[in-house]
Amino acid sequence: MGNFGQLMDGFAVALTAHHVLIMIVGVLLGLVVGVLPGLGAPNGVSLLLPLTFTMDPISAIILLTSMYWGALFGGSTTSILFNIPGEPSSVATTFDGYPMAKQGQAVRALSLAFSSAGIGALTGVIVITLLSGWVAQFAMRFGAAEYFAVYFMAFASFIGMAGGSPFKTLVAMMLGFAAATVGMDTISGESRLTFEFDELIGGISFLIAVIGLFGLGELLLTMEEGLKFEGVKAKLDLRTIFRTVAEVPRYWATLVRSALIGCWMGITPGGPTAASFMSYALGRRFSRRGRHFGKGEPEGIIAPETADHSAGSCALLPMLALGIPGSATSAVMMGGLMIWGLSPGPMLFTTQPDFVWGLIASMYMGNIIAVVLVLATVPLFAYILKAPFTVVGPMITVVCVIGAYTVASHTFDIWLALLFGLAGYVFKKLDYPLAPFVLAMVLGDKAEDAFRQAMLTSDGSPAIFFSNGLVSTMMGLGIFLLLLPAITALAGRIRSGAHKAEAA
Amino acid sequence: MDISRPTMEVATASATALIGAVVCYGALQNGISWADGAPQPGYFPFYIGCLIIFGSAVTAVQTLIRRDGETGAFLDGARLRTVAAFFLPIVGFTLISGFLGLYIGMAIYVFYAMLTAAKFRLHNAALTALVVVVVNFVIFEKLFTVPLLKGPVLEYFGIY
Repeated sequence: MGNFGQLMDGFAVALTAHHVLIMIVGVLLGLVVGVLPGLGAPNGVSLLLPLTFTMDPISAIILLTSMYWGALFGGSTTSILFNIPGEPSSVATTFDGYPMAKQGQAVRALSLAFSSAGIGALTGVIVITLLSGWVAQFAMRFGAAEYFAVYFMAFASFIGMAGGSPFKTLVAMMLGFAAATVGMDTISGESRLTFEFDELIGGISFLIAVIGLFGLGELLLTMEEGLKFEGVKAKLDLRTIFRTVAEVPRYWATLVRSALIGCWMGITPGGPTAASFMSYALGRRFSRRGRHFGKGEPEGIIAPETADHSAGSCALLPMLALGIPGSATSAVMMGGLMIWGLSPGPMLFTTQPDFVWGLIASMYMGNIIAVVLVLATVPLFAYILKAPFTVVGPMITVVCVIGAYTVASHTFDIWLALLFGLAGYVFKKLDYPLAPFVLAMVLGDKAEDAFRQAMLTSDGSPAIFFSNGLVSTMMGLGIFLLLLPAITALAGRIRSGAHKAEAA
Repeated sequence: MDISRPTMEVATASATALIGAVVCYGALQNGISWADGAPQPGYFPFYIGCLIIFGSAVTAVQTLIRRDGETGAFLDGARLRTVAAFFLPIVGFTLISGFLGLYIGMAIYVFYAMLTAAKFRLHNAALTALVVVVVNFVIFEKLFTVPLLKGPVLEYFGIY
């Protein structure tokens, strides 16, 4: 019951007037970020991060996580009302949300989305509350080799479970590692890959990469596609909201299944986007009304929304307990933790219990605040989105350029961000995944340090990665995940071969 | 002027392979072998570079083999112009900001973008630019006390 007592202490930290105010501000900023296409959660958090350097860490992380909740909720609003996902993870919500809104049931669609999202998020937070302390305690036994094995497993699962080409995932991830090695080497003090450029000695900040890849890259893509908002009018009346919320428990099977998918995909680095798509696909297969999916089915909204939000919150569990983020946004937050002078990982639970449990408690509050605020602000954001994108686009650009500058007050960083923007645009069009890049950039140094320290203790023998049961199991799992695309391809070939044999 | 998707796939793979080669070259300068029982600083990056080249090569080869599969356009002339019309002013914005500071840069950029892309009238565009500058000045200089680059003109008027 130790966790429960600590959670109560956490509520004492989170429930001060100051912190509740920060949550409200964070959620509102997050809603703006989530609603506007071209500004996503990872980018929004990166832009806000430099402004939190002077705040104390607990207030700063509450601000950033609240912004994250707001962005997750805001993304669903535009999906339903405008058929334009504000976030990549709310793409699956457009499949049934927009058709339902078009049938004149916009309020029902929104209420369904927000209440199931709230349930998903709370499930995620409860999982964090129950498991994080335990995972952290387990991880206390880790040495350098075990840490490298965990990193290896995380990266291997990206390659193994990627939807697209595993080789593109590999390239994106390794480019991230390469970008992380630029600058001063932490162990030897030599400068690496700087090629005599003074600007590169300090390294490339992952914040610049995120602002370029996710911010400017997304803007270019949105501009190219010639965005037009064709909104559905939504008039909120409380009766419909309450009736819809009462309707939600009927879909308990979908809720449970989607929340489980979300938690799993959030803890393993699958991320909210993959979770919502997978949940939608499974929902269609298992539902009795599966044939009607895509025409405005309630379950078609509940499935992706629940999974999206439970994955979004669960992604913070490995970040806190192991120091390995489960999504691009939590990678950025982890970078923030390091900048504030905290080292994420199991030690955080013993050295900074106030911080950890304050944060977990704030997740309960933040999500409740987000549900209320998102319902209250629907008319406002529907109004904002009437502005043409030719006006909104340049405003977002200004925010991105300023954001790139504020990271370290270097104009060189703005050029880098522009370069990353072009790269992000091309990569997105060619289906290169961007999350592994960011993850590798944040974790690159730590993974390399773990690798080099492990090799130092073993005098250069890679046998250390198979020296005990724990580390061998993790390395074995990692290798299995790496080979997964090859295994499935082989299995598919054998099966089709068998079919041919039968036919003949 | 159309750019086909396979062309772009191969071009991108070549670019990433080139980056991989540069990473390998840089790592070689740091030394990639073992010295005094520890890996030299270039050890880790060297293999990263190799993996980038490997992944890029496979992607390029896969594209060339599956020529029949995806032959759609990556970008056509009209779309290229749209993207360039959006991106080039941002380059200008960055260039001006380097010399004259971010506030003047953003004023000129917003004014230009509102005038051309959004087709605002002259005085409305100027007003929008002014509002953007003032709002950002208040947020960054006053609320968060994060100074942005002022440039020589603002410093001449005594604004730091």
